[in-house]
Amino acid sequence: MLFSSITFLYYFLPCVLILYFAVPGKWRNGVLLAGSLFFYGWGEPRYLIFMAVSIVQGYVLGRLIEKYRERKRTARVFLAVSAVFSLGILGVFKYADFFLENLGRLTGLSIPLLKLTLPIGISFYTFQMLSYVIDVYRQTVPAQKSLIDLAAYIAMFPQLIAGPIVRYSDLREELKERRHSLDGAAEGIRRFAVGLSKKILLANTLGELVQIYKDTGEKSVVFVWMYVLAFTLQIYFDFSGYSDMAIGLGKIFGFHFPENFRYPYIAASIRDFWRRWHISLSTWFRDYLYIPLGGNRVSRGRWIFNILVVWMATGLWHGAAWNFVVWGLFWGLLLILERFWLGKFLENRKWLGHLYVPAAVLLSFVVFDAASLGEAFRTMGSLLGLGGLPAADPVSLYYLRSYGPVLLLAAVGTTPLPAMAVEKLSASAAGGFVERAVKPVAAVLLLLVCTAFLVDGSFNPFLYFRF
Amino acid sequence: MGDTKKGSRLTVALAGALILGFSLAGLLLPDREFSAAERRRLADAPKLSAEAVRSGAFMTEAETYLQDQFPFREGFRSLKTFVNCRIFGQKDIGGIYLYKGHASKMDYPLDTASIDYSASRFQSIYDTYLKDSGSRVYVSVVPDKNRYMAEEAGVPHLDPEELEERLLSQMPYASYIDIGAGLGLEDYYKTDIHWRQERLAGTAELLAESMGTRLPGDWRTVTLSDPFYGVYRGQSAMPLPAETISYLEADYLEACTVYDYETGSYVPVYDPEAVKGPDPYGMFLAGSKSLLRIENPAAPEGKRLILFRDSFGSSIAPLLAGGYREVVLVDIRYISPALLGQFLSFEDRDVLFLYSESVLNNSETLK
Repeated sequence: MLFSSITFLYYFLPCVLILYFAVPGKWRNGVLLAGSLFFYGWGEPRYLIFMAVSIVQGYVLGRLIEKYRERKRTARVFLAVSAVFSLGILGVFKYADFFLENLGRLTGLSIPLLKLTLPIGISFYTFQMLSYVIDVYRQTVPAQKSLIDLAAYIAMFPQLIAGPIVRYSDLREELKERRHSLDGAAEGIRRFAVGLSKKILLANTLGELVQIYKDTGEKSVVFVWMYVLAFTLQIYFDFSGYSDMAIGLGKIFGFHFPENFRYPYIAASIRDFWRRWHISLSTWFRDYLYIPLGGNRVSRGRWIFNILVVWMATGLWHGAAWNFVVWGLFWGLLLILERFWLGKFLENRKWLGHLYVPAAVLLSFVVFDAASLGEAFRTMGSLLGLGGLPAADPVSLYYLRSYGPVLLLAAVGTTPLPAMAVEKLSASAAGGFVERAVKPVAAVLLLLVCTAFLVDGSFNPFLYFRF
Repeated sequence: MGDTKKGSRLTVALAGALILGFSLAGLLLPDREFSAAERRRLADAPKLSAEAVRSGAFMTEAETYLQDQFPFREGFRSLKTFVNCRIFGQKDIGGIYLYKGHASKMDYPLDTASIDYSASRFQSIYDTYLKDSGSRVYVSVVPDKNRYMAEEAGVPHLDPEELEERLLSQMPYASYIDIGAGLGLEDYYKTDIHWRQERLAGTAELLAESMGTRLPGDWRTVTLSDPFYGVYRGQSAMPLPAETISYLEADYLEACTVYDYETGSYVPVYDPEAVKGPDPYGMFLAGSKSLLRIENPAAPEGKRLILFRDSFGSSIAPLLAGGYREVVLVDIRYISPALLGQFLSFEDRDVLFLYSESVLNNSETLK
């Protein structure tokens, strides 16, 4: 089930909320778990079993790790079994065909592919389970005694299919006891409405332009630029919209999920960008891969190796294809450049950073969205006027007129300017009054407009089917 | 920027009322079978079964059902159009754009494969039935209204000349009748794809003359009082005003009979009641029909026309019938040409292929 659907918004969510608040506090995690399983099973009934097995193994092995903590080797074996199990399921579903395809290419053999459908959200819940078991092993958190509570954490529908990757350590206390308040619920509703609007009103509209570009045979340099801009904005609003919705829903249920996006497109360096973009993923890789590999407390050569491994893994996390590997390595190389050479130069030239980061982001998403590396390079060439495309044609100029306002609106929306404007408005007494009066109505108006798009919407892509 | 309790209460109350209100209304209000604006059947409630759940079909159908049966669906569609046009400044809604009060749907680029496919279907009919029949074959292209508005509106459009050239180069057996020059934007409904029959007398006369016959030309215009909302209004949910449908009556038409081969029954030339139904343009010759025969006892003996056509043919055929004893209308979107030999004779006929640019450029439905 998608958040951006009538089924979720008008049927699933009210039912779960009514049940959740109707039962005594100790049953609420049970209601949340049951609702989450229904939510997941609605779209993928047959894959519920894999999630259930993943949860049970994590629970059992987490308990065993804790029990045999004193016997380090035994605990390590349990950790390894859990990690192999989690990564094994992910590997079979997500990477087996990629591996077989490339093995076939290398050896010239005709190897049949498995052609398995990737269970939605598998990368998110696998990483959550891994972090839980590793944290238990590291004694950062105690093993969860209640299977229901652990399952509610892993399967929790607000963050199940599109993140953020919430750590167990972040929710441990709230799984046990959390405060529900009217203020929290109101804040959650508003955050959810903003997220839903980002997804439906902006990301989907920009996605339409992306689709028009892909469908048309009449391309021009202007159209290629529009496509790259539109996709770069679409993916931001889609992804950050889902995160906002997750954070908002979490607040309604009394949880505090970490922020996942902090205006990444205004970053002045690549390092800064990755502190603002999909924060829960980059910190996951930092804590569970980069630091265990030795981080930066190693020789320069090893450090570079660590960075490249982490970014290749980050690329592969987004999809099993070479363009994602290249996408990850591209970021890794830029980070290496910054760390060893460019960083100091950029420090005193912030303006240059604000030019180079968006350029890198645009290029990276060309690779990200391409069906193949060849297509990515062709698109990059077209951006520079190579490839024989006309500079502009009537088709591209029409779509520039038609989608220009949305592109502009979306571009402004990636900056803190709208939030700053609201803040400035509310700073004055009169403005504060208006803001307090308008906020509740604005949230409901946004929900109404989103409903209009959902009722009539056939274009509602889910970008994370490969994650 | 702390929230006041009142503000929080209001947010929760408003959002709760909105969500619960619509979900309850969706459950309690009776289901609608048909959307007149969108001209389509709305989804029924899905049937629950273990297999449907296992395969995911139940969930998919339920999503469509809840979307289709959502309360005040038409109002929400209009709201979406308003936001897209007025706030996002979009120039079209699902390809439908407005120019000088006329709505039209963008149709570009020229799909050469589609034109070639149309030509191949016509060639097959020619080879099977017409080659040695002694019939005279004609072809004419009904201009899409985009021809008269897209360029001025700055909207992408196909080149109609290129379309016609490509088609005609593959139909050397047919004489071309150019009707585009005599038509203009005002000859089309503002909210619909179709042309207006009451403005087609000149076009019908041109076609008839080109095929060597004359029309009586004693037409009288009758205008229906029922509001007419064309297909573009419904599809785009743009707030376009209602139009009226007019049609041309004539003495000979009162004596005409129209035989429907599909049902084996007679249908009226005009059915004003159809304007109130889901397909108002279906008032001309009963709408979408695969095979019809108009008999005009007032016309000279021996003049017979076979009209291969799409929906545009429904409104011009009654006018052409003035010059023919018999007009057979064939819509190969609904009947395979291979079956025609069972019903029709092709000896010594005028045969006109009259197709709109829109069908030629999107010809996958031709059999």
